[in-house]
Amino acid sequence: MSDYQLIIIGAGLSGLAAGIRAARFGRKTLIVDQHYRPGGLNSYYKFQGHLLETGLHAITNFAPPERKRAPLNLLFRQLQLSRREFPVREQIGSEIIYPCASLRFSNDPELLQAEVEQTFPGCGERLYQLRQAVAAQDPFAELPWQSARSFVAGYLKEPPLENMLFLPLMLYGNAEEDDMALSQFTIMFRAIFEEGLFRPETDISVFLDMLVRQYQSFGGTIRYRAAVDEILIGGGSAQGVRLADGSVITADAVLSTAGLPETIRLSAPSGWQTPPAAYSGKMSFTETISILPDISRDAVRQDRTLIFYNTSEHFQYRRPQSLQDSSWGVICFPDNFAGSGSGEFFSIRVTNPASYPHWHALSSEAYAAAKTACRKEAVQASEQHIGSYGQAIVQQDSFTPLTIERFTRKAEGAVYGSPIKIADGRTPWTNLFIAGTDQGYLGIVGSMLSGISIVNRHLLA
Amino acid sequence: MNREEIREVLLEIIADIDEEADFTALDADKPLRDQLELDSMDFLDIVMELRKRYKLQVPEDEYPELATLNSCVNYLEPKLRDL
Repeated sequence: MSDYQLIIIGAGLSGLAAGIRAARFGRKTLIVDQHYRPGGLNSYYKFQGHLLETGLHAITNFAPPERKRAPLNLLFRQLQLSRREFPVREQIGSEIIYPCASLRFSNDPELLQAEVEQTFPGCGERLYQLRQAVAAQDPFAELPWQSARSFVAGYLKEPPLENMLFLPLMLYGNAEEDDMALSQFTIMFRAIFEEGLFRPETDISVFLDMLVRQYQSFGGTIRYRAAVDEILIGGGSAQGVRLADGSVITADAVLSTAGLPETIRLSAPSGWQTPPAAYSGKMSFTETISILPDISRDAVRQDRTLIFYNTSEHFQYRRPQSLQDSSWGVICFPDNFAGSGSGEFFSIRVTNPASYPHWHALSSEAYAAAKTACRKEAVQASEQHIGSYGQAIVQQDSFTPLTIERFTRKAEGAVYGSPIKIADGRTPWTNLFIAGTDQGYLGIVGSMLSGISIVNRHLLA
Repeated sequence: MNREEIREVLLEIIADIDEEADFTALDADKPLRDQLELDSMDFLDIVMELRKRYKLQVPEDEYPELATLNSCVNYLEPKLRDL
C-alpha cells in the first residue's frame, strides 16, 4: 500500500486548491514544497520590517458574492470557503498609457467602453461587438490554437487601439511571444476588462493561511522544506517522489504544479525523455519594489491602481535583447484600492520584461550591480507617468528572472509558464498529472481553478 | 430514509455546497442547476457528497436522473430506503 493516495508537488495556489479538493473528499493527500512557506509565485516575505508580497499586483476576476456563475465564486464554493467572509478591496481604476492616447478602465466595463468611444471615434460599436464575441467564446473547449491578434483585428480594425488593449492582457497572463492563443485572450479579457481587479483586504498571507487551514481541516498533510529531487516512475506509472534528503514517499497518483519543464526534468531519470526546451516560456520580468514614507504620497499619482505604459505606439510582447526593457511595463500601487487606509509607508511596484539568458550569464558581482542599475532605470521610466519619487524611496528590493526560477522552479523564470499548454493535465504516465500555469489557466483565480478541475477530472470522478 | 428525509438531505447538501442557495422559490420539478445557478462542477459535488455520506456510487450516465429535486428523490429512494 502507498504512503499517500495523492502527492501534490508545490504549495502554490494551484497545489493548495487541488489539495483542498482531494482532502475534502477523503483522499489521503500530501503537499510537498521546497520553500518554508506556501504561495509559490504568490507568496510573501519580510523585508526590513515590511511584509512584501512576491507576485501579487491585483487579483483578476472580481465578482460580488451574488454573481454565482462568476469564476471567483465558483472557486470559493469548490473549496467550501465562505465568499462572504472574505473581505476584498476593489481597484480604484487603472489606465493604459501610450504616447498618443490613454484609456482608463475599472471594474465597471462601461468605463472602458466610454473611453474607447471618446478616444477612438467610430470604434465604440466595434468594441461592443468584440465584447459580445468574447462573451460567446468557450475558452475551455479543447480546440486548436487560434490567433487572438487576428480575431481582435477582425473586430476593431484599429491597430493602435488593439495594441493598447493587448498590453494588460498579455502582461498579466501570456506565455507566448508576439501573439496570444484566442482561448487565453478570452480568459484574460473577461478576467480583467469584464470582471475586474481586486485584492484581499489585508495581504496574501491571510488568504494563504485560510487555504492551508482549510486543507488541514479536511485532513490534508503539508510538508515545507521538502524539495522533490525526482518523480519516481516504474512499470509505466508514477510510484511516488524522492525528496532532496533521500527519503522516498510513495503514492497512487502524483500531481505536479512545478511547471512542465521542471516536471519533465524531475521525471527524466526514470524515463520521461521529452526535451523540456519546447515547454520553456521566454517571457519573464523584473520587478522593482520601492517603499516610501506616507508624507511623499502627494508627489505621485494617487488616483490609479495600475498604470500599463508603453513608450512606443507599437507593442512587441517579446523577450528583450537586454537585461530589462523599461520602455513598457506596469506600475502597481498596492495601496490604491478602495478603502485602503494610509499607513506609515506605501509602496510602488514596477514590472518590466526581462531576458533570462542575459541575467543568467552574469557573475555574482555583476548580478548585484545589474540589479541596482535596473532598479534605477525602472524607477526613472515609471516617473515619466506618475511623477518623481526616486529621491523619497526609503527601502527598495527587486526580483529578476533568476529569483523567480530559484523560488518557484518555473524554468527560465517564465511566470506564465510554457507557451504550449496541456489542457487535460495528462502526461505520458496515467497517474502523473500537471496542474497550474502550464495546464492553461492563469492568475490566482485561474491557477486555483486549474488545480480544482484537474483533481475533479482525474482523481475524484 | 423516506422521501421527505431524502429531500432534506439533498437540500442540506446543496446548502453546504452553496452558501448563497435560496430554496424559497425552488420548483421541485424544474432543473436544479438553472434555478440555483449552479455549475457542472457544483453538480459533481452533490454526487461526491452522496458518495462520501452513503457510499453511494452514481454512474456518470445516470447523472440526468439528478436533474430536479423530485427526480433526485425518485432516483435515491430505492437506494437509500434501508438506511
